[in-house]
Amino acid sequence: MFDLELNIRSWSDHLRARGNFKETDIIELENHLRDEMEDLIETGLAEDEAFLISVKRLGNVSLISQEYSKVNSENLWKHLFSDPIDSDTGYQNRKNIVLVVIFSLIAGTLVKVPEIFGIHLNDTADQSFYFRNLSLFILPFISAFFMIKNKLSWKVIASIMGIFCFTAITINIYPYFNLKNTELLTGIHVPIFLWLITGVSYMGEKWRNSRSRMDFIRFTGESIIYGVLIFCGLMVLAMFTEMIFSAIQIDMGWFISNYLIIYGGCAAAMITVYLVEFKKSVVENFAPILAKIFSPLFLLTMCAFIVSMIVMGKSPFMERDFLIGFDLMLVLVLGLVLYVISARDIHDKASFYDFMNLALILTALVIDSIALSAILFRLSAFGITPNKVAALGENIILLVNLIGLAWLYLSYFIKKIDFIKIEKWQTSYLYVYAVWMAVVAFLFPVIF
Amino acid sequence: MNVSKDLIAASATPLILAILKENDSYGYAIIKQVKELSGDELVWTEGMLYPVLHRLEEQQLIESYWKGAESGRKRKYYRIKQAGKEELELQKKQWEMVHSALSKTWVYKNEK
Repeated sequence: MFDLELNIRSWSDHLRARGNFKETDIIELENHLRDEMEDLIETGLAEDEAFLISVKRLGNVSLISQEYSKVNSENLWKHLFSDPIDSDTGYQNRKNIVLVVIFSLIAGTLVKVPEIFGIHLNDTADQSFYFRNLSLFILPFISAFFMIKNKLSWKVIASIMGIFCFTAITINIYPYFNLKNTELLTGIHVPIFLWLITGVSYMGEKWRNSRSRMDFIRFTGESIIYGVLIFCGLMVLAMFTEMIFSAIQIDMGWFISNYLIIYGGCAAAMITVYLVEFKKSVVENFAPILAKIFSPLFLLTMCAFIVSMIVMGKSPFMERDFLIGFDLMLVLVLGLVLYVISARDIHDKASFYDFMNLALILTALVIDSIALSAILFRLSAFGITPNKVAALGENIILLVNLIGLAWLYLSYFIKKIDFIKIEKWQTSYLYVYAVWMAVVAFLFPVIF
Repeated sequence: MNVSKDLIAASATPLILAILKENDSYGYAIIKQVKELSGDELVWTEGMLYPVLHRLEEQQLIESYWKGAESGRKRKYYRIKQAGKEELELQKKQWEMVHSALSKTWVYKNEK
C-alpha cells in the first residue's frame, strides 16, 4: 500500500538534508507538490503515480538546492561544507577531522604535563591549579582550529594568542593570588572571558559585525547543548568500561581517571565544536526544538517560584550559596532567550515564541531585582567582599541587559522597530560582558 | 517545440511580474498560468520557479505573505510592488525592441 504522507515526508527530509532550504521554503515546495498531485489525481491518476510525476516535474533536487543556496546566501556555507559530492570539500572535511584529532591529543597531553612537576589532577591539593587553568587547556586549541579555518591574519592571531598567554601568566604567577576568596571568582570568570576571546577567532575579521556575533551566540548555545550530550555519552562509556572490566577483576579506575576522561574530555570539546560548525545542517534542525521545549518549562518553574515565594513570604537570599545559584539560573535563562533569538530568522513575523521569550525576560527581571536587593542588603549588613561585589556587578549587568531586551521586544511588538534592532543591541552588549569578566578575573585578585 | 533553457530563464522574470500584476498569486498557480498562456509550450522545471521568486523578493520587486487556502493549507502568496511594476515596463520595452528588430530581419529575408 502506498503511504502518501510517508513519501512526502521522506521527500521533504531529503530536501532538508541538502541544507540550503529554510523551513518555509520547504513548506512552499511541499504545498506545490500537493497542489500538483491533486490536479493529477483529478485527471484519473493513482496517488503513487501522481506523486512520482509531481516529484519529477519539480525537478532535480540538487539543482534546485544549488539555486536556493544562491538566494539564501547567508546559508551559503552549508552548500560549501555539507556537500560531500565535491572532492575539494571532501578534502577540507578530512583536513578538519585530522585537526580535531591532533588538537584533542595535544590538549589531553597538555593536561598531563603538569604531572611531571608533581601536580596531579586527582590530588585534592592541586585541584585548584587545574580549576583555574581548565579553560587554558582546551580553549586555545578551539581558537587555533578557527584561526586555521578562517585563515586569520597574523596580526589577529598574535593578539588572540597574546591574550591567552597573558591570562595564563597572570592567573598563575599572581603574587596576590593566594587569597582563597578570589580563586573561585577567577575560576568562573576566566573561562567566560576566554570563550569570548575564542569568539573573535570564530568570527574572524568580521567580529565587529552584529550578524556574525549573533552567529557566535547561536554557536555558543549549540555547543553547550551538544557538548553536554556528548559528555554524557562519554560518562556512560566510562561507567561501562569500569563495570565490564571489574567483572573480570581488572580495575580500570586508574585508566579511566588518568586517560579516558582527560583525553575523552578534550576530544568531546573539539568534536562538539567541529560538529556544530561544520555539520550545521544536521545540528540546526534539532537544537532550536530543544530550546523551544525548555523555554516554557523554565518559564513555568520561575513563575511557580515567584508565586510561592510571595505566598510563603520567605526570602531565599539569606544564604550566600543560593544567591550564586540564582545568578546561574538567570544566566541560563538569558542564554536560552538569546539562543532562541539567534536561531530565529529576522524576517519571521512575531510568533508565539517571541511572546514566550518576552515573558521569560520579564520573570527573570523580577527575580533579578529581588536578588539585587538581597545583595545590596548583604553588602550593607556584612561589609564588602569580592564575592558580593562580583555578584552585584553581574546582577546589574544582567538587569540592564534584561531591561534592554524587554524594552526592545515591547517596541518590536507594537511595530515600532525591526527585529534586527534587538540583535544589534544584544550583540554590542557582549562588550560589557567581556570587560566585566576581565575585571573580575584579573583586577579583583589585585584589589582584594 | 523545445524552447531553449536560456530563453526560458530570460523570460521568467517578465512573465512572473506580468502575472502578478494582474493578481496576487502563489507558485503553483503561476506555473499553471504560464502553461496556459504559452499553450503548453513553455515548460519550466517547476522547482526552479521558487528561487526566482525569492530573488525577485530580495530585489524588492515583489513581496510575499502567507494566507490560508480553503483546503486548509497555508500558501505563500506573492504581490508585485511599485518597483516591480517599473521593472516590468522596462522589460516590456526591451522585449518589444528585440521583437521588432527580429521581425524586421525576417521580413527583410522574406523580401529577398
